[in-house]
Amino acid sequence: MILQKLLAKSPRLEARLELLELATGLMLFGFLQFHMFAVSSIILGVDAFNRDSARMDEYYLSYIGIPLVILAILVHGLVAMRKAPWKFQEMRVFVQHSRRLAHLDTWAWGVQILTGLIVLVLAATHIWSVLVTWPIEAATSAARIQGGYFSSFVLLILAAEIHAMVGLYRILVKWSWIHRKKFTKYLVYATIGMVGLGFLTLLVFYFRSIPKGLS
Amino acid sequence: MADRLLTFSVFRYNPITPEIPPRMQEYQLEETMGMSLFIALNRLREEMDPSLMFDFVCRAAICGSCAMLINGRPGLACKTLTQDMPDRITVMPLPVFKLVGDLSVDTGVWFRHLNVRTEAWIHTDKVFNPKSIEARMDNPTAQAIYDAERCIECGCCIGACATANMRADFMGAAFLNRIARFMIDPRDERPTAKYFDVVGTDEGVFGCIGLMACDDLCPMEIPLQGQLAFVRRKMAQMALKCKKSA
Ligand code: SF4
Ligand code: SF4
Ligand code: FES
Repeated sequence: MILQKLLAKSPRLEARLELLELATGLMLFGFLQFHMFAVSSIILGVDAFNRDSARMDEYYLSYIGIPLVILAILVHGLVAMRKAPWKFQEMRVFVQHSRRLAHLDTWAWGVQILTGLIVLVLAATHIWSVLVTWPIEAATSAARIQGGYFSSFVLLILAAEIHAMVGLYRILVKWSWIHRKKFTKYLVYATIGMVGLGFLTLLVFYFRSIPKGLS
Repeated sequence: MADRLLTFSVFRYNPITPEIPPRMQEYQLEETMGMSLFIALNRLREEMDPSLMFDFVCRAAICGSCAMLINGRPGLACKTLTQDMPDRITVMPLPVFKLVGDLSVDTGVWFRHLNVRTEAWIHTDKVFNPKSIEARMDNPTAQAIYDAERCIECGCCIGACATANMRADFMGAAFLNRIARFMIDPRDERPTAKYFDVVGTDEGVFGCIGLMACDDLCPMEIPLQGQLAFVRRKMAQMALKCKKSA
């Protein structure tokens, strides 16, 4: 034991950071899937989408939800990053180790770090662009998607869903709430389903011409 | 399967002669019936290269000294049959542990440290009375202890762990498994708080990122996922309890 480590060590805080990562992770997982279903209401029609959006506005769900989600993303990002291989050497160790090992779960961690970074950047721009064109309406969303954001949404949906599902898998494994080998396939189905739903929503937005004032 | 010519690509490096850089050296050997990597390496040393360094003791998956990276994955050389392997076999020493030379690493110091840090003995105030009848233990508990006790300290779970590879002070599955073993044991009177100080940290169970390479590659097939989760839950409970009293 060395002095600086002895003094800096705090099991209580380190454990709580872990729990914070867990809690924000689960919360963001829930939010992401909720958000996916909510925007997919465009598949049912413009009115359904606008009604949903207006209702959330009406009950202040958006005004409580959005700041909370932003906060959760920031906290989750920061807490999760503490374990990522930031030093160049660590990164090389990790990549070489994973290549030698050829072990799916080990690679999955690399995927998670990568998708996490993508989500951080794209979600920030996404939230920003939604906020500056507030309120949420089918017309503004369609304008955004038709106006050049399409490919970034494809990437965001993929990155977010993969990050969320792999994250959920790792949470369940770490706390041993599932039988690892048996459960994996359900998560793969769920990922494919949610990504499919996301893409469908995106396509509807892309091809539907929405009358109300395209600003 | 007979008549196969196997190519062994063996990691060579001797810290005593650092001027010779680490390299992979190739040897070829005819496969024989029931050949294990233990047999193959011994033949290489006897017939081709007496300078080759590697460790074996029991050659029966008991002592844990022959763990190495076999085609990139940690495993016991004595338990690995060449018939289950492709024509080309790469062997490297286990990472994380101190390299003695070629395939030989020092797991001893690491595991000694583990035993000291976990205080791997029963802590009790009860005075042992050799004349009294032994206290009974129920079967599931005994079984759970036995499960953890099967660890042969080979170090495969440590070599397989990405965290242990990146962070030298991470304890790894063998360590946490050992802690679990004493936490289950009703004879051990240590309070959970005591364990918390040792493993409730980022060097301990909260440094684990759940990649389960340890669980997949433990040659004794110890259910490490469950063992890690057991420690994790106990430690999380502890952290929450502290919150209330704080
Ligand atoms: S837990 Fe398994 S892999 Fe790890 S040292 Fe023990 S026997 Fe080896
Ligand atoms: S589950 Fe934890 S201890 Fe096991 S290999 Fe992964 S990070 Fe290491
Ligand atoms: S030689 Fe003892 S475990 Fe392989």
